[in-house]
Amino acid sequence: MSWQAEADEIARRRAWAHQMGGAEAVARHRSRSRLTVRERIEALCDIGSFREVGGLAGTATYDAQGRVQGVIPAPYVMGLAQLNGRSVAIGGEDFTVRGGTSWGGARRKGGQGGFVEDLAHEYRIPLINLIDGAGGTVTSSRRRGYTVFPGIDGFERSVELLGEVPVVSAVMGTAAGGPAGRAILSHFSVMVRGASQIFAAGPPVVKRSLGQDIDKEDLGGADVTVDIAGTIHNAAPTEIAAFEQIKRYLSFMPANVWELPARNLAGDPPDRREEALLSIVPRKRTQPYPMGRLIDLLADKGSTFEIQPTHGKSVITSLARFDGYVVGIVANNPMHLGGAMDARSARKQIHFMELCDTFHIPIVFLVDVPGFMVGLDAEKAATLREGMRAVYVAGQLTVPTITVVIRKCYGMAGMATCNKNGADIKIGWPSAEWGSLPVEGGVAAAFRREIEASPDPKKREQELESEFRLLASPFRTAEAFAVEDVVDPRETRPYLCRFAALAQSKLSTMLGPKSRSGVRP
Amino acid sequence: MARHVVAAEIAGTVFKLEVAAGASVLAGAVLIILESMKMEIPVEAPIAGKIAEVLVSEGQAIAEGQSLAVIEG
Repeated sequence: MSWQAEADEIARRRAWAHQMGGAEAVARHRSRSRLTVRERIEALCDIGSFREVGGLAGTATYDAQGRVQGVIPAPYVMGLAQLNGRSVAIGGEDFTVRGGTSWGGARRKGGQGGFVEDLAHEYRIPLINLIDGAGGTVTSSRRRGYTVFPGIDGFERSVELLGEVPVVSAVMGTAAGGPAGRAILSHFSVMVRGASQIFAAGPPVVKRSLGQDIDKEDLGGADVTVDIAGTIHNAAPTEIAAFEQIKRYLSFMPANVWELPARNLAGDPPDRREEALLSIVPRKRTQPYPMGRLIDLLADKGSTFEIQPTHGKSVITSLARFDGYVVGIVANNPMHLGGAMDARSARKQIHFMELCDTFHIPIVFLVDVPGFMVGLDAEKAATLREGMRAVYVAGQLTVPTITVVIRKCYGMAGMATCNKNGADIKIGWPSAEWGSLPVEGGVAAAFRREIEASPDPKKREQELESEFRLLASPFRTAEAFAVEDVVDPRETRPYLCRFAALAQSKLSTMLGPKSRSGVRP
Repeated sequence: MARHVVAAEIAGTVFKLEVAAGASVLAGAVLIILESMKMEIPVEAPIAGKIAEVLVSEGQAIAEGQSLAVIEG
């Protein structure tokens, strides 16, 4: 007597799982140009690599003889898969089953404290959350007969994972409540512009609480959450494009904090000298230049991946490779706010520096910062406090850093672009200028009385400014060995490739989780 | 035809107008240069289209978020 009948039942039960919420619900979901959770997993992961865990979980119906008639699957699909040949844990809500709301099995498959998080934790592999649900529903309290305390299924494991393995969240549908919170508890998050939304609470709750009528796209579309708020890091035009971003992001990441990111040589010579770098910075000091292009000229060709490209644009944060080694680039962008650090760019830089520090990625600072953003709007946004947080986090970095001053490096915002705790190198281009504050304004403040007393105050101010500008030559600072070198801009790539290689020995001695002490200001 | 209002991301003064009403522009074209933070900061067209209105003049002081121009595209 074989077990053929049971083997057939396994196949039958799996087929039910693959029917998801049924033909009608699946058709309705697809009619909104959305992929099902199973299609998403298939599209993202290496072909045929998905090994489902918990595929038989669901709500079954039995006939009078105890024979199973069908199973409505649990509204969460998860398991193990390969991504670019490496193991990942992946899971997502099945929106076609009760809108992906939470489900009362013996053990949670996904969501806070879900099994998929345990897989990532136990096997030390990256976690990918495909988020498409609104979390809890009040109908569950009718079933239970009581309301649950918030956090009974807490975020403890989600928090723990952020110090252990790369966590990526893709907001695929409309996310509110628990799934929205979990989207934020990630190292990298992406959503689909025009098709997905995320908020603490959706339009019906806003209507009831504030009396405001607002639709879900205006409330939580990418224009708000990615560009303005920075709630989600990146936006993609389609679900497939979002998956490409996830693959790209994870290609820079190690599997966990106990490993170093893999080197990937793409054949770009480390000693390549770019002539264009010699003239990319205009001699006229008020004229900005494209920092993004400068980065592209320096890094391995085609290797950059920008995090938060549409938010806090006065700083660019980009993963990249130099001679195949993964490096994090923090570059001030003079095209936006003149490169000044505002509250948004400070938060963006803080996240990126902590990311690099956690995953043992050395940091290159390309500096052109006039200081913190000034003015009433900036003060209302707590720019000074957010900016000093950036200085604080920069001061706690343990990965090797190198600072290349392209043009301005002033004041406390300048201090957030270097780490002077060890032998972290600071070099300048010939266009570099630095100080505790710029000559313009600085002279007027320090010599106010002398300028006012002069017969021609305007002329006196200009005389003083040119006197101080001569002192601001980077060569004078190099003479005093107060910077390590002034370099020909064309030498910068060879220099940085050398740094990336040099950093590896130190990085290999500091693997493992980082404990951070102290209180962020 | 969508009307897209281009707003200032920073307070400052209008240093130079690079386009006038009626001009056709590509996405990324510089419309206006603002002077702020001691820098000449370009304001770029977010979309391709035709300049319907320029709402500021050279030398004018502007606030963060102030509307600068309208593009129809």
